[in-house]
Amino acid sequence: MSAVEVRALEKVFDVPEREAGLREATRSLLRRRTREVRAVDAISFAIEPGEIVGFLGPNGAGKTTTLKMLSGLLFPTGGEAHVLGHVPSKRERDFLRRITLVMGNRNQLQWDLPALDSFELNRAIYRIPREDFTALRDELIELLELGDLVKKPVRNLSLGERMKVEVVGSLLHRPDVLFLDEPTIGLDVTMQRRIREFVAAYNGRYGATVLLTSHYMADVEALCPRVIVIHEGRILFDGGLGALGARFAAHKTIEVVLGDASGDLERYGEIVQRDGERISLRVAKADTPSVTARLLAERDVLDLTIEDPPIEDVIERVFLEGSA
Amino acid sequence: MSVAARTPVREEGRLRSYLDFYATTMRTAVQANFQYRADTFLYMTGTIIEPVVYLVVWSTVARAQGDVAGITAGGFAAYYIAWTLVRQFNLAFTPYGWEWRIREGRVSANLLRPIHPIHYDIAEFAGWKFVNVVVWIPVAVVLVLIFEPALHPGLEDVLTFVPALWGAFLLRSLNLWTLGLVSFWTTRTAPLFELYILLELLLSGRLVPLQVMPGWAETIAAVLPFKWTFGFPIEALVYDLPVSELVGGLAIQTAWIVGMWTLMSVVWRRAVRRYSAVGN
Amino acid sequence: MGALRIALLYWRVAALNELQYRANFFIQLVQAAIGFGTGVAVILLVFSHTNELNGWDAYELLALFGVQMLLGGVVHSAVQPAMQKMMDDVREGTLDYVLTKPLDAQLLVSVREARVWRLVDALGGLTIIVYALTQVERAVGLEDVAGFLVMIVLGAAMLYCFWLVLATMSFWVVRIWAVNDLFEGLYQTGRWPIGIYPGWLRYGLTFLVPIGFAVTVPAEAVTARLDWDAAVGAAAFALVAIVLSRAVFRRGLKSYSGASA
Repeated sequence: MSAVEVRALEKVFDVPEREAGLREATRSLLRRRTREVRAVDAISFAIEPGEIVGFLGPNGAGKTTTLKMLSGLLFPTGGEAHVLGHVPSKRERDFLRRITLVMGNRNQLQWDLPALDSFELNRAIYRIPREDFTALRDELIELLELGDLVKKPVRNLSLGERMKVEVVGSLLHRPDVLFLDEPTIGLDVTMQRRIREFVAAYNGRYGATVLLTSHYMADVEALCPRVIVIHEGRILFDGGLGALGARFAAHKTIEVVLGDASGDLERYGEIVQRDGERISLRVAKADTPSVTARLLAERDVLDLTIEDPPIEDVIERVFLEGSA
Repeated sequence: MSVAARTPVREEGRLRSYLDFYATTMRTAVQANFQYRADTFLYMTGTIIEPVVYLVVWSTVARAQGDVAGITAGGFAAYYIAWTLVRQFNLAFTPYGWEWRIREGRVSANLLRPIHPIHYDIAEFAGWKFVNVVVWIPVAVVLVLIFEPALHPGLEDVLTFVPALWGAFLLRSLNLWTLGLVSFWTTRTAPLFELYILLELLLSGRLVPLQVMPGWAETIAAVLPFKWTFGFPIEALVYDLPVSELVGGLAIQTAWIVGMWTLMSVVWRRAVRRYSAVGN
Repeated sequence: MGALRIALLYWRVAALNELQYRANFFIQLVQAAIGFGTGVAVILLVFSHTNELNGWDAYELLALFGVQMLLGGVVHSAVQPAMQKMMDDVREGTLDYVLTKPLDAQLLVSVREARVWRLVDALGGLTIIVYALTQVERAVGLEDVAGFLVMIVLGAAMLYCFWLVLATMSFWVVRIWAVNDLFEGLYQTGRWPIGIYPGWLRYGLTFLVPIGFAVTVPAEAVTARLDWDAAVGAAAFALVAIVLSRAVFRRGLKSYSGASA
């Protein structure tokens, strides 16, 4: 049985609409104008237990809305969703005990108390047996290298440290499904990497299914073998990151260092960057072999590398094509 | 060179820019507050309950005995219904506002504006009054129908009432704004504010018409500013005061406003100095 | 049972939180003193002009004031902070964390925030009641005290239900901050016996806004003037209030989650 099964899932919002000014404000007293917004437009996918799936998309694409429907926070307006065999919106106790939600930038630990006290609170809420709790808690603290930070009041921790203790608190009940909504937002690069490594380690050790939303490419690249690209409520792509590049990337970048960079280099391809003898050329994928051959034959080449375009460009292309 | 760079920067005349500032701020406040209709109505209901309770209590006593200190049940009704309008007018920026500003680190924004920050707070609340009064009118109609006030104001009473209303607003704004400045020295302004409200309750005519208070309290109330933030406009409208007292009242109110403005300026300067020395 | 365990858990955390700020205790003491001063001053003022108000004499009225303070302390320490936090969470979207816990949402939302220091008000109210009882003419017996305790519990329950319904309104009118002012205003009516209010207002303050039942009835109980009809009525009303408020809350939750019906 799949961990997550989604069929034609849909979420439509009625958003009130009004123009600026005093006259419009008075008019809105009598008549409410609303606009229909399809935040999630009939999407379908299935996720097997233990998978780590990244939901990519620009702001407002529908990723957080999807996550909220799968964690039971929002009622879908159409279609159906099943997580661990449960219907999330029913919010059954057994379901809630097996999931966890972590939202970047939103704390749920007690602000003025050490994290350890909040952990105790969670232990009582989730009815975790004492030995299991202590063992897992200490293991998580070690994995995240928290040490004595858990004894300091949460408000005294830095943003990154706060995120770490939040993560520990949310995993104490050993959930089978992790919903992570923009978990690395606002964190510095080192901390982002740390969190990613931790999620991967946790998934490896406990086999939990992870659903992650992010608009940071780095999160997805580092963590998610599978990527679902959402744009304007629709799924544009569902598969591996490599396949994404293969399908949508139409260009490659040739980085070449020439002994003599004079003359017309435009005949080889579009010059993206030029730094003395180091030149970046953008070449159509199909032409890459022939252009490379010509360069090697006709010029004095000191160094040559062929690169895929950065994944951000690929994603941008996916969005452009998707909304066309 | 662009047009913008060539023409020298001009500034409007001072008085004109103040008027413009007030007009714009007030208009924006009305628009903003319009969205909070539900809140305004709830808040208003909350503020109306207080005088209704007083009204019912004193009417009960008055009905049992004929009158209290010369005021009949109908007289109390008139007093407290006028009270509700005056209350809408004397709502002002409280010390909690300053506490919040300091806690959220917004004081710098106030200090960087080329205009004394009190003008914004006064203008914003002044704008809200228009929405408050509009929401108040149906409520007042209901109150009049239920409590049957004995109200027969003369022209001179109404002509005094309107400036007295605005004067009350100005004076109370000054009082509370200055009190709020204590937040620059301590975060615990709540007890001070509550003390102010206690004094106001007893000595401004908020709890009862001042003539119902014992004689010595009435005397004290006459020399303190509280009466001029609350009781005076009510008395001007509801009682049949001679013109000399009406004009005299407005004069005393104005004197208090001038005095409090001076005090406010002094305290503000000290507060800014403290803020610049201590930081956030 | 489980619910009580969770409640005590959260209240313990709240106490832990607050004990760090001892200054708040003294502030609360000062504010309570000012509150009491005001209340007593008003009663004195009224009784300088009359001997009785709607059949209540000065000390009975003092007892009523004490009951209002007692219940006020309970509401301000345990009910209002939690309800305020719920409204804030609805506005800022942090209610999601409540909804993903395997606990009853109403329970969690009602106990997770408390201001222990406000119990000072409750203590003060109790003191006033005890003092007033020593001066009251009627003899107050054990069964009156028992009745009083039962009525206080029912009264607190009714006020909680009322607050819950008010706070649930924030699910539909999200930017609502005046709920607190509204409650405080309405609660002031409890300082006087509901008999003084004109008929329709009296009904409103008994059945719509249960101030009458919550405050006047316990005061009647403790001053040995309670009649059985009122007591039974209060119990029945409390039961209805508990059921109704829970239904309204669940309806609000559904609306928050975007369910259409």
